[in-house]
Amino acid sequence: MHDYQYDHQTVKGFIVSSIFWGVVGIVVGLWISIQMWKPELNIPPYFTFGRMRVVHTNGLAIGLGIGAIFGISYYIVMRLARRPLLFPKLARFHLYLFNAAVALAALSLFAGMNQTLEYAELEWPLDIGVVILWVMFAVNVFGTIIKRKEEQMYISLWYIIATVIAVAILYIVNNLAVPAGMTKSYPVFAGVNSANVQWWYGHNAVGFIFTTPILAMFYYFLPKSTGLPIYSHRLSIVAFWSLVFAYLWTGAHHLVYTPLPDWIQTLAIVFTLFLIAPSWGSVVNGYYTVGSDWSKMQTNYLTKFFIMGITFYGLQTVQGPTQAIRVVSQLIHYTDWVPGHVHMGTMGWVTMTTAASIYHIIPKIYNTEIYSIKVANTHFWLVLIGQLMFSITMWITGIQQGALWKATNADGSLKYTFMEGLAKNYPFWQLRTVAGVIFTVGMLFFIYNIYMTIRKGRALAASQA
Amino acid sequence: MAEDFDNVNIEDLEAKDTARKIPLGWLILFWGLILWGIYYLAMYSPVISGWTQEKAYEESVTK
Ligand code: HEM
Ligand code: HEM
Repeated sequence: MHDYQYDHQTVKGFIVSSIFWGVVGIVVGLWISIQMWKPELNIPPYFTFGRMRVVHTNGLAIGLGIGAIFGISYYIVMRLARRPLLFPKLARFHLYLFNAAVALAALSLFAGMNQTLEYAELEWPLDIGVVILWVMFAVNVFGTIIKRKEEQMYISLWYIIATVIAVAILYIVNNLAVPAGMTKSYPVFAGVNSANVQWWYGHNAVGFIFTTPILAMFYYFLPKSTGLPIYSHRLSIVAFWSLVFAYLWTGAHHLVYTPLPDWIQTLAIVFTLFLIAPSWGSVVNGYYTVGSDWSKMQTNYLTKFFIMGITFYGLQTVQGPTQAIRVVSQLIHYTDWVPGHVHMGTMGWVTMTTAASIYHIIPKIYNTEIYSIKVANTHFWLVLIGQLMFSITMWITGIQQGALWKATNADGSLKYTFMEGLAKNYPFWQLRTVAGVIFTVGMLFFIYNIYMTIRKGRALAASQA
Repeated sequence: MAEDFDNVNIEDLEAKDTARKIPLGWLILFWGLILWGIYYLAMYSPVISGWTQEKAYEESVTK
C-alpha cells in the first residue's frame, strides 16, 4: 500500500490551485466593482462587466470553492476512513484535469460563450468535463469510504456524501441542452419551467457547494484544532437529515412574484423558513462546543475563525429565509441588498472557514507549525472588516434603492426615475471597492502565511532526508 | 513517512456525556417552524384560502 505522503501532495496541489484561482477571481471582483462606478474600465470585448462578472462568480465558486472542497474533502475522508485514498493516481490526475478545466472555463467565459443560466454558464463541452471531474471525485470518495478502516461514520462524511450526490443531480439536470455547434446550445427547458429548474439548481448550488462541504470542514476542523469535541452527535445528525431534506424544495424563493404558480412559490417559502432550524442546529452545536471552554478563543488562534465563520453562517441562514418572505422580497429583490447577502456568505462563512481549514492542514502535511500566528490574526481582522463593510454598504444602498423604486405619488405614478435611484448608489459602490481592497489585503496576508509555512516545511523535510 | 501523524479517533471528535442532548430552544424552533409552515401554506395556497398574487396586486393598486 502507498503511504499518505503522495495523497497529501495531491491535497496540497488542490489547495495551492484553489488559492491561485481565488486570486484571479478576487482581482476580477475588484475590477467589476470599479466598473460599476467607473464605466471606462469596461474594455470591449473581453473585459466588459457582462463577461467579467461570470469569470468572477465561476472563478471563485469553481476555482476557489470547488478546488478547496476537492482537496480538503480528500484530506478529511482519509482521516475519517483511516486509510489513504483508494485511487491515488486518479486523484492526482483529477488535480491536473481540474486546473485545465478551470483555465478553459475562464477563457471560454472571456470569449463570451455562455448558456445564460446563472452559475451554469459553461457551454456543453465544458459541462461534460465538469461531469467527468465530478465522477472522478465520487469514485475516490465512495471507494475510500467503502474500504474504510473505521467502522463509524463521522458527520463530516455524511456532509461530503450529500455534496457528491446532490451536485451531480443538480448539475446534470440544469445543463440538459441540445448542442448547436461546439460553442452553442439550447436548454431543453423553456419559459417558466426553465426558470424553475434554474433556481432549483441555483439555490442548491449554494446549498451543496457553499454549505454542506463547508459544514463538513467545520465539523472536522473545529474539534481537531481546538481539541474540544462536538457537543451533540444527535443534534449533528438531526440537523443533517432535515437540512438535506428541506434544501431541495426551496429554489422557487428566487422567483417570488413571478409567473411561477403561486402554490410553488408558497411551498418554497415554507421550506425556506423551515431551513432556519437545521442550519441553526449546526450553529448551536458549534457554540455549545466552544462554550465548554471559551478560553480557546484566546489560546487557539483558529477558534475565532471557526466561531466567526459559523456566526456569519447563522446570520446568513436567518437573512436568507427572511428574504424569501413576500413583503421582504418585494423590497430587496433586484437591488444591491442581494450582493450584500451573497458576500456575507462567501467571504464571511465560506472563505473564513476554508482558510482556517487550510491553516490546519498545511502545517500537518509538513509536520510543522504555522509560520506566523500574528500574520494569521492580521488576516482575520482585515477580511472581517472588509466583509462587514461590503455587506453593510450594500444593505443600506439596497434598501434605499428598493424604497425609491416603490415610492409613488398620489396618482400612482413613480416618484423617482430609475436614474435618480441609480445615482444614489455611487458612493456605496465606491465604498464597496474600498471594502474589497481591505478584504484582498487580508487574503494576501493569508497567502503569504501559507507560502512561508510551505517553505518552512520543505526546508524541514530536506534537512531530515 | 509511512504512518499517519494526524490519525483521528472519532471518540475525540464527539463529546460523550452530551452526545444525545438537544437544546430545548432548538426543538421549539424546529417544531415551531413546522407549525408555522402549515399555517402559511394554508393562508397562501390558492386552492385552500383563495389567495393569489394577482388579487393581492389588484388590491394594492386600488387602495
Ligand atoms: C475583493 C473581494 C470581492 C469583490 C470586490 C467582489 C465584487 C463583486 C461584485 C461587484 C459583484 C457583482 C454584483 C452585482 O452584479 O451587482 C459580485 C458578485 C458575486 N460575487 Fe463577489 N466579490 C468579492 C469576493 C467574492 C468571493 C470571495 C466570492 C466567493 C467565494 C464571491 C462570489 C460572488 C458571487 C456568487 C456573486 C454573484 C451574486 C449574485 O448573482 O447576486 N465574491 N462580487
Ligand atoms: C438557509 C439558508 C439560506 C437561504 C434560505 C437563502 C435565501 C436566499 C434568497 C431568498 C435569495 C434571493 C434574494 C433575492 O434575489 O431576492 C438568496 C440569494 C443568494 N444567496 Fe442565499 N440564502 C441562504 C444561505 C446562503 C448561504 C450560506 C450562501 C453562501 C454563500 C448564500 C448565497 C446566496 C447567493 C450567491 C445568492 C444570489 C443568487 C443570485 O445569483 O441571484 N445564501 N438567498
